[in-house]
Amino acid sequence: MATFRLQGSKMLAVDMTGDSVKAKNGSMVAYDGRMAFKKLSGGGEGIRGMVTRRITGEQMTVMEVKGEGTCWFADRASEINLVQLRGDKLYVEASNLLCTEAGLRTGTTFTGMRGASQGNGLFTTTVEGHGQAALMSDGPAVVLRVGRDYPLTVDPGAYIAHQGDLRQSFQSGVTFRTFFGEGGGEAFQIRFEGDGLVYVQPSERNTIAGDV
Amino acid sequence: MAVFREINAKMIEATVVPGQRLYSQRGAMLAYRGDVSFTPNLQGGQGGLMSMLGRRVANEATPLMTVEGSGTVLFGHGGHHVQVITLTGDTLYVEADRLLAFDGTLQQGTMFMGSQGGVMGMVRGQVSGQGLFTTTLKGHGSVAVMAHGGVIEVPITPGRAVHVDPQAYVAHHGDVRNKLSTALGWRDMVGRGSGEAFQLELSGSGAVYVQASEEKL
Repeated sequence: MATFRLQGSKMLAVDMTGDSVKAKNGSMVAYDGRMAFKKLSGGGEGIRGMVTRRITGEQMTVMEVKGEGTCWFADRASEINLVQLRGDKLYVEASNLLCTEAGLRTGTTFTGMRGASQGNGLFTTTVEGHGQAALMSDGPAVVLRVGRDYPLTVDPGAYIAHQGDLRQSFQSGVTFRTFFGEGGGEAFQIRFEGDGLVYVQPSERNTIAGDV
Repeated sequence: MAVFREINAKMIEATVVPGQRLYSQRGAMLAYRGDVSFTPNLQGGQGGLMSMLGRRVANEATPLMTVEGSGTVLFGHGGHHVQVITLTGDTLYVEADRLLAFDGTLQQGTMFMGSQGGVMGMVRGQVSGQGLFTTTLKGHGSVAVMAHGGVIEVPITPGRAVHVDPQAYVAHHGDVRNKLSTALGWRDMVGRGSGEAFQLELSGSGAVYVQASEEKL
């Protein structure tokens, strides 16, 4: 089985013994042993997956890395976070997904208005099954727990991923002041309710929310 | 021998004592204590006029300065990560613009990388965006190199070659042969490649330094 380990906070080392992993296109920085790289496409396999990708715009370009030895992955010096999945589902922005074990299924799901406010489209990538996934963040990510009585509200630009049994809703703080340019710069938020984990990075992507 | 101490990931402190000198990239001094002088080194290093010409031609002439005196100096540049590499008689191969500072006792030279692998060496220069020439440092002493993101050291042992993305390659040392390996298939021609068409293959015994990014400095 492929084992994921962090070497520093920005480099992922994957030890493989003839098995394979899926990784973001072009994210390999070094390897020893024997490795083969093959392009796959995100959004699931087959015709259905292709149609899904076309419609959703979640054009995650993924490669399959197969071999024996150690392969190192990194992308533009982003921080890397390891997530262990035990049969549950992880929702993550395609641009933040670095590498997943081959046993994990990836797909695309509808996120509603949240995507629109992030400028990431209305869809997000899902990862499901048993195994490890490596997420990227701008700065070290924190994992925040959402409990039955503890809902969480997150800036869309700082959100990276979530897992567990969570409902998400889109909150807007747009008032008449916003239209006069008097907004607080936090016009949109995502609210998570239920039971699960939310991964948040200490940095904000450019979103519409930051401009109003 | 000058001593380099890592202050944090992006800063090093060098100790200078009388009678010893070190070279650093011009403008990389952040602060110093004691009586230290910084003189621009017009030759861009050591070795006299001929080696200066060599470096000019090879485009490996990053402006350097000589640091002498007695005291301690802090070096850092552009917020890049800094890695200290200690040489024990072997040769370090590194691009000149990645050199932050190095011990004055080390012998500096330029090497034509294209010679390793003929035409492929030429191609490699094109692919990695790095020149056909690289700087070599040989001897006993410390070198501080810069990288984007952190750096890991991957050992190269006989029978176990290491492949590196040309853009993530920082430096290597030891008795190492390198060549550009291609995994170009028809898929790459029609734009369906995995994005890993070219790799630098390093074999022999030594170590290669790899940065956590595919960006140049």
